[in-house]
Amino acid sequence: MKALAWGIAFLSLAGAAQAAFPERPVKLIVPWAAGGDTDNIFRPFGQAFQKHLGQTVVIANIGGASGTVGAREAKAAPADGYTLFAVHDFIHLTYYTGVADTSYSDFRPVCSVASTPSVLTASPKTKWQSIPELIADAKARPGAVTVGATLGSTSHFFPAIVEKAAGIKLKYVSYDGLAQRMNAILGGHIDLTDGNLTQKGKVDAGQLRFLAIATEKRNAEIPNVPTFRELGLDVVYSVTRGLLAPKNTPDAVLATLEGACIKALAEESFARSMKAQGTEVLPLDRKGYGAFLDRVDGENKALAQEVGLLRR
Amino acid sequence: MFELLADGLLNVIQLKYLIPLAIGTLIGVVGGALPGITITMTVIMVLPFTFGLEPLQGLAAMIGVYVGGESGGLITATLIGIPGKPSSISTTFDGFPMARKGEPGRAVWLGIWASFFGGLLGGVFLIGATGWLADIALRFGPWEFFALFIFALSMVAGLTEESLAKGLLAGAFGLIITTFGSDPIMSVPRFTMGSQFLVGGFPFLPVLIGIFAFAQLMTDIERARSLAGSDASAGQLVNLAVSQTRVVGEILARPFLLLWSTFIGILIGVLPAIGGSAASVMAYDQAKKLSRHPERFGTGTPEGIIASEASNNANVGGSLVTIMAFGIPGDAVTAVMLGAMTIHGIQSGPLFMSQETTLAYGIFAAYLLAHPIMLAIMAVGARWFLRIVTIPKSILIPMVLVLCVVGAYALNNTMDSVWVLGLFGLVGYGLVKLGFPLAPLILGLILGDQIEVNLVRALMTDSDLWLFVTRPISAFLLALSVLSVVLALWQRRRQRRGPTEPDVDF
Repeated sequence: MKALAWGIAFLSLAGAAQAAFPERPVKLIVPWAAGGDTDNIFRPFGQAFQKHLGQTVVIANIGGASGTVGAREAKAAPADGYTLFAVHDFIHLTYYTGVADTSYSDFRPVCSVASTPSVLTASPKTKWQSIPELIADAKARPGAVTVGATLGSTSHFFPAIVEKAAGIKLKYVSYDGLAQRMNAILGGHIDLTDGNLTQKGKVDAGQLRFLAIATEKRNAEIPNVPTFRELGLDVVYSVTRGLLAPKNTPDAVLATLEGACIKALAEESFARSMKAQGTEVLPLDRKGYGAFLDRVDGENKALAQEVGLLRR
Repeated sequence: MFELLADGLLNVIQLKYLIPLAIGTLIGVVGGALPGITITMTVIMVLPFTFGLEPLQGLAAMIGVYVGGESGGLITATLIGIPGKPSSISTTFDGFPMARKGEPGRAVWLGIWASFFGGLLGGVFLIGATGWLADIALRFGPWEFFALFIFALSMVAGLTEESLAKGLLAGAFGLIITTFGSDPIMSVPRFTMGSQFLVGGFPFLPVLIGIFAFAQLMTDIERARSLAGSDASAGQLVNLAVSQTRVVGEILARPFLLLWSTFIGILIGVLPAIGGSAASVMAYDQAKKLSRHPERFGTGTPEGIIASEASNNANVGGSLVTIMAFGIPGDAVTAVMLGAMTIHGIQSGPLFMSQETTLAYGIFAAYLLAHPIMLAIMAVGARWFLRIVTIPKSILIPMVLVLCVVGAYALNNTMDSVWVLGLFGLVGYGLVKLGFPLAPLILGLILGDQIEVNLVRALMTDSDLWLFVTRPISAFLLALSVLSVVLALWQRRRQRRGPTEPDVDF
């Protein structure tokens, strides 16, 4: 009996020693403004994540300069697992387009979180009801159709891919993050932007128009919106979001974070809030996400070269 | 709308929101009552303590501080003749004489009830106009935003009591501070001098706390000796008993005065750049001009108290409209409030009302409920707050300084913020000594990035510069900017040796 008690005491001590991380709240840097799509994905994720991590997760929105201000801050943070970085494909693009010196290799992967397909979205003040109408108009007035974009990031690349596929010329205006782009497109200050299903409510209310979705097949949530493929344009594009930690974060800490993340992604409530945003939950572990990042990095470099934005 | 508001009220009346709201209001009243401690400082000190709370809990606390602070100043203003904060300066003109004539209770309660009614009327405007103004805000393109910010800057520079040139220079200096670090469009590093820290630019809130809280508290320390004398008179407890029905009757018997002062408060609140003190000074001035007995002003007339206090509380409602509908700060208090919203994951702006309806109405409800809470706090504690005022400056100022430093540190958990705070504390103090007004500097600092981003956007959308003057709203705002500078020049020429107006409240 006594031995058992000692055993329990010992086990719990050992447990305490191992459970040293996390002993205080964890800061999750979201490099875009609150209310944007990255924020909309990481806030519910943070809720589920803190439940499995056993510590409060504080979301810090550090926006500016195409997400690179937050990236730089995350890179400079102590590598103790208490500062994490909510990333998406912009990290590769801003590196190759020369917007930032921060590369994905300055971090270590924790897990991937979700993948959101892009939808080309038009302001209701424009007259186009479909992609062919847009293309005809853009061909008639080259360089006059304005696109709100986070320069050098995914919302710049997606329209650039469309631009190239359709053989048109667009004009880009800097609006950092989806939240700002939505204000601008609703007010009619820009004509087009890279949107996604998080904006479905506004489309239903007639405030925005979805022109085409960049997936292989039509999405069940918006069955009336055609894919680019159907229209003869080879454009498939989605934005994958995940969690990174500063480069020298210890393996034990990363393992704890990875475990909590994978469990959080399996939460029913998280899946539901992602579905509402037209986003697919993508639970890749450290290794899988690392391989994914390597692959995407190569693809993005090629992409940057292809659309003529490569600066490195 | 009423249904949404009722839901909001039912929501906020839960203890988990009501407690932070009440605590915030109490801290606000105390902070407002303490001479030398502005509402901005109080808000900054409370902010780090709300980090761990739910968004609406945190915002309820901050709104409580804002509303409470705007009311707390009247206690010190009426009873010892020292404004607890700049926006209660005009309350001292009549409140203090009335208290000295043996009616301290009447003076204090006139102020409290006027704050209450002014604040609630401001709330009606807040709820009614936010959605409507958000629609207008949506129509603002980069040209209009640029013009609006230029208007705000020129107005503040024109309003300062010091020379116009110094006002404009101070504004420009604020703008220059924001150019340090990566540019907001393409992330090109500027003036970083090879320092990794400067790549991110000077962090906004530590600079603000440094320039604002430190520089101001330093000047207070210099004046501490002169304030010590009046503190002694505040030592004893004053009897504030008065017939509440009579006081309320006195206010409601002057509906025109109440409405007009409230209107001025709201208007000044909605306009970016000018804060509560301009509102109360203007409302007081208007009340005097429109009165049948202007000669009684300054001798303890109730009109003076009502005008000043109704307008400065209504001003809060107006300011909240601007940050909620446009998502842009008008002054230091609202800049910190906006910072607080961002920290709690709320992006205010034209879409805020429609996307975050529950939260928006929660904020409205918190604003409305803060008023009866303020009233209750005053009823219980007004006479005791004077005791707090007697805390010697030598103890109070160091305490506030420490809390400011803690607040700056807590924003990012880095000592760098504290160094920035120290640096800008010295810079701000130096500028005050050289006679530069701080208000335009702060506004330049607040609006710098926004001005730059919107100018670049406008030019990226269309390289035609004429659009700034051919788009009607933009042209109107730019014309107003020119007008405000011309007006300031003309006024200075006219009253070269006239009485100086109190500085714009931040």
